[in-house]
Amino acid sequence: MTRRRFPWFSSLLVVTGAVLTVVPFLDMVMTSFKGPGEAGTLPYRFLPKAFDLSNYRAAIDQLDLPLLFRNSVVVTTAITASVLLTSSLAGYALAKLRFPGRDFVFRLVLSTMMFPPFVFLIPHFMILVHWPLAGGNDLFGRGGAGLTVSIAALAVPFLVNGFGIFLTRQFMVSIPDEVLEAARIDGAGEFAVWWRIVVPQTRPVVVTLGLLTFVDAWNEYIWALLVSTADPDVMTLPVGIQLLQDHVDPARTMPIVMAGLVLSVLPVLILFLLLQKHYIRGVMLSGLK
Amino acid sequence: MVNTLTPEAAERAAHRPRSLAPAAGRHGRARRRQAVVAYLFLAPTLLFFAVFLVLPLGFALLLSMSRWTGFRLGDIDPVGLDNFTGLFADGSTFLAPILTNTLLFALGTVALALAGSVLVATCIDRLRFQGLWRTLYFLPIVTTVVAVGNVWKYMYEPGGLVNGVLNALGLGSTAFLQDPDTALPSVVVVQAWATVGSAILVLTAGLKSVPQAYYEAAALDGAGPVTVFRRITLPLLRPSLLFVCITQFLSGLQSFALINVMTKGGPGDATDVAALEMYRQAFSYGDWGTASAAAFVLFLVVLAVTLAQLWFFRRKGEDA
Repeated sequence: MTRRRFPWFSSLLVVTGAVLTVVPFLDMVMTSFKGPGEAGTLPYRFLPKAFDLSNYRAAIDQLDLPLLFRNSVVVTTAITASVLLTSSLAGYALAKLRFPGRDFVFRLVLSTMMFPPFVFLIPHFMILVHWPLAGGNDLFGRGGAGLTVSIAALAVPFLVNGFGIFLTRQFMVSIPDEVLEAARIDGAGEFAVWWRIVVPQTRPVVVTLGLLTFVDAWNEYIWALLVSTADPDVMTLPVGIQLLQDHVDPARTMPIVMAGLVLSVLPVLILFLLLQKHYIRGVMLSGLK
Repeated sequence: MVNTLTPEAAERAAHRPRSLAPAAGRHGRARRRQAVVAYLFLAPTLLFFAVFLVLPLGFALLLSMSRWTGFRLGDIDPVGLDNFTGLFADGSTFLAPILTNTLLFALGTVALALAGSVLVATCIDRLRFQGLWRTLYFLPIVTTVVAVGNVWKYMYEPGGLVNGVLNALGLGSTAFLQDPDTALPSVVVVQAWATVGSAILVLTAGLKSVPQAYYEAAALDGAGPVTVFRRITLPLLRPSLLFVCITQFLSGLQSFALINVMTKGGPGDATDVAALEMYRQAFSYGDWGTASAAAFVLFLVVLAVTLAQLWFFRRKGEDA
């Protein structure tokens, strides 16, 4: 091919771009080791004077990282489990069961993907504030703070995902009807057919959708920030770290913030590196993020 | 909703052979049972969409036409289109700079990410360790916006990496995020940096579908690399390019988490964008009506772009 004539140009360009992509991550790691007065001072130095772990200890203490981690893990796990379950149930009904209104429901699921998340920010918050019989509210959602003062508030608006249903449904359509019919003739109910035959066959889509959902939920910031203003005890990692960065003298705390960030991005980076084929397939299926 | 028959079902009913009529009773029961099971399977989903999709949309529309301080639901005061006219009234900052910033932010991101992804995607597929490079380009996408925003914010500081490099090259320092002239371009760079990985992914997949024979034919004709790129790669890559443009544009129009982390819309309102303004009007100033109206205006812009995309790709699909 003609373009082989310039391999050095291609290599140079790709490597330069990759370096530009990675350098901010390296700067984050390097800064997390810098001592007091070493970060943000002139002249800029990339490497720390010593690889001191004290910022990590400070991050764990000052940020209450164990609590933030626990909240993030609980919320992310709940969202992922719920999205996988509801997507599988609804996907099965839409792909393999015949019932009046199926086209309408499928179109409804598709249409949910057209609404940008910011549209729901205000109404979702208000719905949670006025959630009946929660957080001191009466039956009509009056009197208290509703669900906003519980950790459930972080997960609830993300428990069902239109794209997840669509993805699962598309995958299930290709399962041959004969297999399901045979099981039904053997006396299996629809629930048994779904659990014993369909669910085991949808492992690839479970891994892909689970990974996409997990990463999105772990990284979610705006909603979690909103809920944390109602109840500071239900902060997740991104929110907790951002609050430290906002409220304390940035020059002194920058290395501590960076240490917290390193610890908070590590789980998803590792997960991504281990399962990147599945993740990338998911991104390709969902279009650009 | 439950009573409407799908076209498929209607057709099946119409074509049911007469000879099977005696069995129809048992058949009908089985079908009814399947419908019940289907709606049981769909129950959590439908319930969720009723509470978290239909209800919120109605509530948002109501709020956009009301004055409300956000406390008692009984205090919602309908004011018609006042909130919308207020947004576009003289002296309002919504049209300029906020909506202008939003468009500039989205367009700037598209331009940078597109240029970067085209260059990298066309060069990457004849390199060794392709997988490694693609993984590296993808890292920002799985990283939380709080990490991306804070690291870049710190890098833009006078004592940060970017100014460190400029100083090493003999150039003076710039207060990127504190100067109203450089703040918006600076956050655009970060947004492009954070999203270029998925654009590269889409374009790489698009390039792989270009038949190798075209390139071989061009080589036989002695076409140079620039000609090959302009006459073969670019035209065949057009659907992928358009897809990247539109999706990047859409996410640029809506995104405000990065700006919230890096500049909070400042200095002044130099980096204030529509979604951030909505957020602040509601949750900082308690003006829920104006916030909801701003959300609806932005939603209409997003919807118009989405529908244009659907229309365009459907037309393309019919051509093919």
